[in-house]
Amino acid sequence: MTISLVLQALFAGVTNGIVYALVGMGLSAIFKGSRVINAMQGEFAVIGAMTTVLLLTKSGWPYAAAIAGGAVAGALVGAFIEVAFVRYMAAKNASEDSFLLLTIGLALSLSASILYFVGRDGHLLPPLGSEGVLIVMDAVIQFHALWLIAIGIGATLALRAFYHRTTIGLSMMAASIDADGAATTGINVARMRTFTFVLGGLLGAMGGILVTPLIGVDYQLGLNLTLKGFAAAVLGGLTNPLGAAVGGVTLGLVESLAIIGISSSYKDVVAFSVLIVIMILMPQGILGRAGRRGG
Amino acid sequence: MAEPMLSLKEVGHSFGGLSVLRSVTFDVPEGGIIGLIGPNGSGKTTLFNIVTGYIRPLAGTVTYRGTVLGRDTIQQRGLRGLVRTFQTPQVFEQMTVLENVMVGCTKLTRTTMLQDLLRTPASRGQMREIRARAEAACERFRLTALRDLPAASLTAGQRRILEIARAAVGEPRLLLLDEPSSGLNVQEIEDLRDWIVRLNDEGITILLVSHDMGLMTVARTVHTLYFGEIIATGDMAAIQRDPRVREVYLGV
Amino acid sequence: MSSRSLLWLVPCLVIWAVLPFVLPRNVADLLVFTGIYTVAGLGIGLLLGHCGIVNLAQATFYGLGAYASAYCTVMMGLPSIAGFIVGAVISMALAYVIGRPILRLTGYFLALGTLALSAIASALFFEWDWLTGGTLGIGGIPKLDLFGFVLDRPSRYYFFVWIVAFACMIVAHNLVDSRTGLMLRAMRDSSTAAASLSIDLQALRTKVFVVCALFGALAGSLFAHHVSFVSTQSFTVDRSISFLLIPVIGGATSIPGIVVGALFVTFLPELLSKLGDIHQILFGLALVAVVVLMPEGLVGAFGKLRTRLARRGGGHG
Repeated sequence: MTISLVLQALFAGVTNGIVYALVGMGLSAIFKGSRVINAMQGEFAVIGAMTTVLLLTKSGWPYAAAIAGGAVAGALVGAFIEVAFVRYMAAKNASEDSFLLLTIGLALSLSASILYFVGRDGHLLPPLGSEGVLIVMDAVIQFHALWLIAIGIGATLALRAFYHRTTIGLSMMAASIDADGAATTGINVARMRTFTFVLGGLLGAMGGILVTPLIGVDYQLGLNLTLKGFAAAVLGGLTNPLGAAVGGVTLGLVESLAIIGISSSYKDVVAFSVLIVIMILMPQGILGRAGRRGG
Repeated sequence: MAEPMLSLKEVGHSFGGLSVLRSVTFDVPEGGIIGLIGPNGSGKTTLFNIVTGYIRPLAGTVTYRGTVLGRDTIQQRGLRGLVRTFQTPQVFEQMTVLENVMVGCTKLTRTTMLQDLLRTPASRGQMREIRARAEAACERFRLTALRDLPAASLTAGQRRILEIARAAVGEPRLLLLDEPSSGLNVQEIEDLRDWIVRLNDEGITILLVSHDMGLMTVARTVHTLYFGEIIATGDMAAIQRDPRVREVYLGV
Repeated sequence: MSSRSLLWLVPCLVIWAVLPFVLPRNVADLLVFTGIYTVAGLGIGLLLGHCGIVNLAQATFYGLGAYASAYCTVMMGLPSIAGFIVGAVISMALAYVIGRPILRLTGYFLALGTLALSAIASALFFEWDWLTGGTLGIGGIPKLDLFGFVLDRPSRYYFFVWIVAFACMIVAHNLVDSRTGLMLRAMRDSSTAAASLSIDLQALRTKVFVVCALFGALAGSLFAHHVSFVSTQSFTVDRSISFLLIPVIGGATSIPGIVVGALFVTFLPELLSKLGDIHQILFGLALVAVVVLMPEGLVGAFGKLRTRLARRGGGHG
């Protein structure tokens, strides 16, 4: 176990962790705002990344515009899901399980659609900044990864500011804590719920767009990110979207450190096992106040 | 003197720093009907939750039929005859009234899941017995007309009787009734009162929590709980005369 | 059983017995799959309909059953019954060991926990190719041989699979109709009240989970002997979702509903095969549609329609 191996694992862990954090923050935000567990959160990442790929390669858009397009796609799909399905089911007082099955069905439809229309191959995006790498004591980290980390931290801080300082953010928090009370102060609770899905879609898409230059996007990425994003959210405390940032990085580090010396193909097994273990042992997460004990 | 059915000694509990019960001590004699009154938030339901095993108290001991209840689960306490009802009747909504009562009988028999999967004679015999007991209980509690209706379609008063019938059919020794009169009209409360007396006559000890002073007269001894402490004990007449109680309830 | 339902039973049995001989071979083949999926779906239905638990891990046990049969017969040359037994025992043991901690979770935590479990199993089936053959799989699984009668045609295997499926349906029905069934439905409707009536919730959940795993393993072994070749593609998370779809579509509390769901899951891909691999998309959409529009599944919705029509008819009678 050399220093450079550990350092390499730390680099990888933080990089992956920020991606999980973004997906997890979106999941947490949606849960906090609507009490829906979004099993298609990872698909937002795929939607964002695929849209960016298509806009860039098929429609010839400049990279920045394609990225914006991908992010908007995620946000729009989020809004669509809330308006088309969640609203209807919420009005009929559907159970939590029903919402979960809904999002599972949507996730399956989406990943199957990607498989059908795009095929099995993965797609890459060009890295942000230059193609180069940074080498520290024989450990390598791409410049894009550094950008990713920076943007991730920025997004976390922006989300924090959003929740605590903007009117919309405060309204969303109020609506999620007490819908009736919020309604009496003039907050449009239904619209707030749509916004939470928009926010979740946006964050998920960002995660997908940022990770694609490193590992590529394919039809299977969605489920993978959903489970890891959920682990990040639970680690950080489900009702604490910002906690998912800490949860995500923690998960990424655990994942990378655990497979030092073992084949990297066990990465996912480690992450999913962590999910199961923390749900059983620490359902309120390492940071969060007791959000809900899952059922 | 015979050993009390239930004995609480210095039971205390708090939620997140807020003290809910303070040094609660009293006995429930076998065969008696004991009442517990107190304003909202005085800790009555928490006390029930502690006695029945839904919460572990932070202080004090609960002794049931001579044994200290430490880590006994809700189910273990139930098997020993310690049964409760809930403030809002928890009926099994999608099951019929008869099936609800049948569930109450399941604790009296023991088949393994394997026997049930294979439908052995033992398994069939037990179902017959459960059904027979439940039908008899429905007769007794005058629920026969409602037998095949889903419990979800029952009124509040009917649900309450169903819940009590379901608890009674399991041969409890000590029955804890949490606000049984809530949601009931005057006639239904009268019926409830009759049922409590009848069950007590059969030997079931009863601990009753209620807002309803009229219903409370069925209890021989009443403890008044205020902010987690017992401030008065006696029969209803004495309680209503007690100056501390009057101060707490009437601000006099 | 009443004499009226017996009257229905005889023609149904006759039709059932004749089907594999009058239908084209590929349809008979699909009906074999329907039987296999019915077995797997029964377990999920018990958990969903009677315990209110969403179990997305069935592909794990399906895979264990299939690989056990494959390994025992192909790699170790044992008789087929060994594969069935080994698969069942391993699945039940795993279900018990994993089930006890995981079933302390409820609601969506539990559902996602089972999903994670299926994903882990899928990854391990892929990684441990020294055991499973990875994507190359294990081939050459022999057809079942019943006392010299080799079940090498769909029309023959059909009877074996469906007899097993009927046996499983009877067993499931026994459970539902028994004291255990009462306790399960009580637990589903109000776990607080069930606990107050001394029902051991944790033990019940674990036991039903183990039974579900048994059905999954049984289906897996049946599958292995049907297709003679198993590889990781058949045991992914998508397969778990298909299994969940069976009781969701058909109606989780109805045992015939499971057959309806199994028919749906088997035949839909075939009906749409002209359009390529589009069935997976439609499975997802079907799940969405049923959850949003018909929470009680097709059989439940059909039942409601019948009641409504009967009421209208009665009004004029």
